[in-house]
Amino acid sequence: MPLIPTACATTGPFFPPRYIDAGCNDLSRFEGRAARGEPIEIHGRVLQEDGVPLNNLIVEIWQADAGGVYGHPADPRIKEADRDFLGWGRATTDPEGAYRFRSVRPGARPPRARHVNFQLMASGLMRVLPTVMYFESEAGNDADPVLAAVPAARRALLVAHRESAGVYRFDIRLRGERETPFFEL
Amino acid sequence: MAANPIDGRQFPYVAGAPDEATQPLRVVPGYPETARRNPSQPLVRRPPTLSELTGPLEPARRLSLLGGDLAGHGAQRAIGQLMRLRVRVLDEDGSPVSGALVEIWHANAAGRYSHPNDDDHAPIDRNFYGAARLLTDESGAFELRTIKPGAYPVPDSGGWWRPPHIHFSLFGKIWLSRLVTQMYFPDDPLNGQDRILNAPPSAEARARLIARMLPPTGGPADALVFEHQIVLRGRKATPAQA
Repeated sequence: MPLIPTACATTGPFFPPRYIDAGCNDLSRFEGRAARGEPIEIHGRVLQEDGVPLNNLIVEIWQADAGGVYGHPADPRIKEADRDFLGWGRATTDPEGAYRFRSVRPGARPPRARHVNFQLMASGLMRVLPTVMYFESEAGNDADPVLAAVPAARRALLVAHRESAGVYRFDIRLRGERETPFFEL
Repeated sequence: MAANPIDGRQFPYVAGAPDEATQPLRVVPGYPETARRNPSQPLVRRPPTLSELTGPLEPARRLSLLGGDLAGHGAQRAIGQLMRLRVRVLDEDGSPVSGALVEIWHANAAGRYSHPNDDDHAPIDRNFYGAARLLTDESGAFELRTIKPGAYPVPDSGGWWRPPHIHFSLFGKIWLSRLVTQMYFPDDPLNGQDRILNAPPSAEARARLIARMLPPTGGPADALVFEHQIVLRGRKATPAQA
């Protein structure tokens, strides 16, 4: 008999500030060394219903390295993985709801387009809330099977806006108008 | 090995859709934040790909370990009922999840968190260190030394008190294994009215959130011992699923 996964619960409002380690939102460097690939910045705001910014929300991301490889044994190409890239980071939102990551542009791994996995945790979120960020003007977006699972009219909400070279803006609206599509965990 | 319907790739470790009855409602009556922050649109079910069936195996290389003793960091022991909590972390196969990063935080014995946003009237205990972070051992186990947390009222909630509880954040073998949960104490009179503990529809799922106290006769002289089990999503793929 398989065991049943433990029920999730909210982080509550008191996720300890010391869990946001210095530098844990910078994936472009790892243990003092720079990751391969093009440095990028991802930033945005997280808003709740009616556009109110959400402070103290935890954002975690997971992505492939610049070559499209995941540093995990399930990836048959793990030997090619960039050892100076962990692929994971954590940020928290400020009182304006703003979060920020530095990273490198993930490689595409067809049929998946370049993307960054997000998980959100906050007071009032009873379960970890996953979404996915895509990059503007990527030819591969149309063929991505996860983006294709999103109703067509809402797909653009998952595509980050390129503000300048290497700087992407990805706003997340938890509920209400222009609500970000979220996925089952 | 499960075949990926997208590109035929085989994945060694998978996670199916959760059984909704065993997971909390997303919008919980009497907990107003849930109605402002949870999506109104249906969640999208996505096909499994390498991106979700991998995940960070060593987040501790980015986050520093903080140990598993919340009672003994200060000049004196933290005030409260000393306890030890023995937890095992398993996956859906019942296999231990070893080397998993676990974060554990809770309120002090007076029901106050070591957090700038907690403006409750209850006193701060400077000897209570409110945040543990450690790795599970080879059997998926870890032990926490701490004091039993106090109950506290939720502000502006019409008399909702949180029962004593402990928060956990855990990383498993894949991205889909990530878990944030809370653990409760047996027979606490506040358990029955707690809006978070009672959010999963399944009574069995709720019961699994409550720790078990070991008989005091067998334990250390100075502390009560509690046991708890946490199950992360994920299991080895079997040929039947291929």
